[in-house]
Amino acid sequence: MTHLPILIITTSLLVAFVLPLLGRHFPRAVEPLIIGIISANIVQVSGLLLYVNANGTFRYALGGWSPPWGIALSIDALGLFMILIIQSVSLGILIFARDDLIHEIENSLKPWYYTLFLLLLTAMTGLSVANDFFNVFVFMEISTITACAIIAIKPHPDCIEASLKYLILSTLGSGLVLFGLALVYMVTGYLSFDFIAESLPNAMNLYPLNIIVSLALLVVGMGIKAALFPLHVWLPDAHSSAVSPSSAILSGVVVKIYAVILIRLLYTVYGLDILAHIPISQILLTMATLAIFMGSLFAMGQTDIKRMLAYSSVAQIGYIFLGIALLSPSGITGGILHIANHAIMKSLLFLAAGAIIYQTGIRKIKDLVGIGYQMPLTMGIFGVGALAMVGIPGFNGFVSKFHLAVGALEAQQPVFVIVILISSLMNAVYYFPILIRAFFGPVNHQMKFDQLPLGMVISLIGFAVATIYLGLLPGGLINLAEAISQFLLSRS
Amino acid sequence: MTFLEVVFDNYFYLGSITIFLIGFHTLLTHSNLIKKVIGMNIMETAIFLFIVSIGYIRDRHPPIVVEGEPHMMINPLPSALVLTGIVVGVSLTAFALSLIVKLYKYYGTVDIDEIMEIRSRES
Repeated sequence: MTHLPILIITTSLLVAFVLPLLGRHFPRAVEPLIIGIISANIVQVSGLLLYVNANGTFRYALGGWSPPWGIALSIDALGLFMILIIQSVSLGILIFARDDLIHEIENSLKPWYYTLFLLLLTAMTGLSVANDFFNVFVFMEISTITACAIIAIKPHPDCIEASLKYLILSTLGSGLVLFGLALVYMVTGYLSFDFIAESLPNAMNLYPLNIIVSLALLVVGMGIKAALFPLHVWLPDAHSSAVSPSSAILSGVVVKIYAVILIRLLYTVYGLDILAHIPISQILLTMATLAIFMGSLFAMGQTDIKRMLAYSSVAQIGYIFLGIALLSPSGITGGILHIANHAIMKSLLFLAAGAIIYQTGIRKIKDLVGIGYQMPLTMGIFGVGALAMVGIPGFNGFVSKFHLAVGALEAQQPVFVIVILISSLMNAVYYFPILIRAFFGPVNHQMKFDQLPLGMVISLIGFAVATIYLGLLPGGLINLAEAISQFLLSRS
Repeated sequence: MTFLEVVFDNYFYLGSITIFLIGFHTLLTHSNLIKKVIGMNIMETAIFLFIVSIGYIRDRHPPIVVEGEPHMMINPLPSALVLTGIVVGVSLTAFALSLIVKLYKYYGTVDIDEIMEIRSRES
């Protein structure tokens, strides 16, 4: 059996701890090493994904100890798909970060930043494939601490405060998850997802209260960490005050990993039969709809461009949970597609905003007048991201919104098609004014070209190409998402 | 079984849930950041108590094998989990406290309401 799954996690973990030492003696080797290790991870995950597509999912038992005694990783399409997104998006972000970080944090802290970044990646990789409750808890705590740390690394009081707020609420979330897993362990006696899934129907008959309370605790705990609407209060501060690469990874990937765990828990552990006992689908749908509308409403009122993008993330998380909660094949496909598409376009938007701040120092939306003449490339790429966010056909946002709408019809709840339509218009209300200000304002500037370092330009163009490519030729991604939704529905 | 009997048989569960709620309340309502961290710790400890009491079986011994003395053991797995949980909790506490020290250096207070007031005055 292949040992690739554990190799991806352990090599990143080891390299993360080598980086600060390397930074002290060979500072120039740090960036090539981290970019190399992530590229290697992408190759390994792609290989595994091909293997799983050909041979089906398998369990990797650590050290040869099979569960319930040992720990097993679930190597399936969902987890590998998520790892692929995590690693490729962070590769783009790191190429950007190389030049951007010098402006925001001290040079001596850079290797430490990369250590935290790589630990965050490792934790998320572990979360994607973890197949038992306790590994989920441990990796969740690692990702919480590192996610807070890459906000607090910028020596600014706003960042420290945002990070502390995030830390306290996240700890609350993991506390609730831990309580939830204790309740499940109490009635099943297992921590491994496979064994819990087997014994839950029986336990549901004997101790229904335990299962229902644990489900509520897990949904609320994951909801806090994924910033689902009424529980999103930490997100705008945290994502807007952090350095731009941190904002991009936090908004693009970190909040989604908890949605993925919730998908895994709801579909493969609890299963649709148990979900039918409680109106969890309706609760999640209501919260998602609220998130979509309120996130957009708050975003309209923002004056700071990164704060606006952060509130937009709250709305987009709503789409993902809408897809999860519809419980129809196309709905799940749409939710999973939106995880990938939003990761790409929100990273693009945050990095473009970071590039604007890098070159001009402007953060206020009203000061962006005529910026399109100073930074035509960056604003053009920002425009690509904005159009994708609104869901114009030809960009990747349209593909996932279309699948969500089909999913709503399949679930016979056409009201959500209207929700998606109205919210797309609301997205346009806050994204287009920026583009209009940038390109159609009073022209009092000479036409110039962006003065950005090469790394930032390459990274921005890479994200823009991915956005358009996945909008025009989404076939491969859709097939993968459909395979995942089949896998999830076949398990429950 | 009467209600009171249920309560007395499961007093450890009820106790840990009560402590959990005390911690939860402290975490959410106090404006002093140090008290918030204390609340966080109380909450975590309550969950650890809960997990340990799941594994406890009345009149059985800790799972330490001594030759010649056959014992009925309690379930050791929850205790092992709690050990990991405590380590995680300590690191979270340390990190939160270090952030509070930094905030204190900037603002000269650990009260979140006062920090908000200072910030609104500054902007």
